[in-house]
Amino acid sequence: MQEATSARGSLPSNRLGQLLMLPGQIVSLLVLVVPLVVAFYMSFTDWTPTHGSLLQATLVGFDNYKELLVYDTRFVEAVVRTLLISTVCLALEFVLGLSLAVLFLREFRGKAILFSAFLTPMMILPVVVGYTFWMLFQSNGPINQLLMLVFGSGAGPQWFRSTPLAISAVIITEVWHWTPLFFLILLSGLNAIPENPVRAAVILGATPRQVFWRIVLPMLKPVIIVAFVIRAMEIVKLFDEVFMLTRGGPGTSTETISLYIYKLAFADFQLAYGAAAAFLVLLGTLALIHLLLAPIRNQLLEARR
Amino acid sequence: MTIPKLEIVNLRKLFGDESLVAVDGIDFAVEAGETVALLGPSGCGKSTTLNMIVGLEQPTSGDIRIDGRSVIGIPPGKRNVGLVFQDYAVFTHMTVFENLAFGLVIRGRAKAEIAKAVHDVAELLGMSNSLNLSASELGGSELQRVAIGRTLVTKPAILLLDEPLSNLEASARLAMRRELRRLQSEIGLTIIYVTHDQVEALSLADRIAVMNAGKLQQIERTSVICKKPDHVFVAGFMGSPPMNLLRGEITGNGASVGFRRDGLFIGLSSSEAFVSDYVGRPIILGLRPESLTLAAAHDATISGKVAVVEPRGPEAVVTVESGTVSLKAVVPTAERPQVGADIGLLAAPSSFVFFSGETGRRLAS
Repeated sequence: MQEATSARGSLPSNRLGQLLMLPGQIVSLLVLVVPLVVAFYMSFTDWTPTHGSLLQATLVGFDNYKELLVYDTRFVEAVVRTLLISTVCLALEFVLGLSLAVLFLREFRGKAILFSAFLTPMMILPVVVGYTFWMLFQSNGPINQLLMLVFGSGAGPQWFRSTPLAISAVIITEVWHWTPLFFLILLSGLNAIPENPVRAAVILGATPRQVFWRIVLPMLKPVIIVAFVIRAMEIVKLFDEVFMLTRGGPGTSTETISLYIYKLAFADFQLAYGAAAAFLVLLGTLALIHLLLAPIRNQLLEARR
Repeated sequence: MTIPKLEIVNLRKLFGDESLVAVDGIDFAVEAGETVALLGPSGCGKSTTLNMIVGLEQPTSGDIRIDGRSVIGIPPGKRNVGLVFQDYAVFTHMTVFENLAFGLVIRGRAKAEIAKAVHDVAELLGMSNSLNLSASELGGSELQRVAIGRTLVTKPAILLLDEPLSNLEASARLAMRRELRRLQSEIGLTIIYVTHDQVEALSLADRIAVMNAGKLQQIERTSVICKKPDHVFVAGFMGSPPMNLLRGEITGNGASVGFRRDGLFIGLSSSEAFVSDYVGRPIILGLRPESLTLAAAHDATISGKVAVVEPRGPEAVVTVESGTVSLKAVVPTAERPQVGADIGLLAAPSSFVFFSGETGRRLAS
């Protein structure tokens, strides 16, 4: 034992360890850090792939950033739209997920099967979800046929021809896809809530409603916030479903940030400009997540007594 | 006669498909202002009894009456019974003030009334200065104060405490014990509390109810229960160390009647009322460690070898082995013998306690 420790601590094997880790570190450097640095540099140039190499591109300082924030209404609109869609989606997903989770605290027949069924959507690839809902929302698709069956033949709208309807389609798809995640996180949170404070409240005379709003929900707060953070990080990058459903249309009315940056880079070949936009989004996301975490930051960082 | 504060009448609780009997027909009454400890080993049904009194569990049969009225079917919040949990169950997302105020806030009382009630209770518990602290910052004994205060604010008729001191460290435990006694005398609370720690029970309660396997074995004044246990279980549970219990039988007749166990024979006076009835029947002899005295091996009631000596401050617990029997005696530390020494134990016949080997009940003497 003593020998083994000293052998491991000695210089040659220590070197060996570092040597063995080197390939992995090189790979992560190449894959993560280098592109990040290159993109960061790129965002201060006017480079496009059609104009020679990146090193020959002119440095333009903060022009790209200025352009984005001041003149590019399409970018600003995409940001606002993404935040709007995110807020609506997260609110709906939270309310639906929490309701389902509260429902699942009781016993009922078929609970196990329903549990699996409710979790399935989030296991499906976003592209597949997007494609499926694109077909569902077709003007003669199942959703419209159902609407027409219930509300008469005039009820089937052209989902992707009007802005509000197209955004609604995106939101419905997104909520269907990701409510299960909220449901899962909140259910495990609810199950982890200690029983005695709840019982204490009941003994002190609280009604079930008061117990839920004054005891259960506040105690669930850290879990709720973590669920929001996880989902918020994902939804501000919303791409697949929108791409499959609307491609940002009609016009640019359902364009999200990711979709806009994608179009900038791979349709217009404005890679430098796209890189600047991507960096702004990164900064914005960082700020947003820290803002969301602020209320429970101390609680999460506090050492366990 | 006044109506007891709380009456428990033939209370039973079965769990699962009626196969598990948690509480098996217990009866007792608690007078106003009295403190009763429910004492017993884990799983004896004491917590279940508490939960039924407060309304968290519904009894299978029997009745619970508070101030003479049955509370069966009344929801927990409406019984006017407070319960303090072993883990305190303080609302950690609230401040101390909000915790204390909770019971009144949910009843929709006026702000001024709430503030006054909270301040009164905070003063009583000596925590007026920590009202604005978050409950998550508090330590063990403070959490317990909050838990008790939160209940007192609602002015319960009966306060139930579940293992009130077991989560506290020794010094806090002493302080809390004093505190609880002070509360008892200052506001005349009726307190029932559950514990498996007899020191706790002895130091706080007016009466102790000893439970085992869902049954109430004995409920008796604290000062009496150690001396006069009604049941062999109580005898083996109370006291530290508990009473020595020897299973044997009564043999002989006339002048040579006595208690026999293997090679051990202790002569008894035939004038004891029960002796003649129990000849040839199993019996349990109880010898209190405090009533045994050391003597020379040859002129003692029981003689044997010293197996263990445990000093405990001014006293020492001496374990003497005699054949298959092992007895504990409490002696002054100055008189403690060497381990391995031959020694005798003297026991005054007047201190003998007998239990039926069949029912476990104490035999009248």
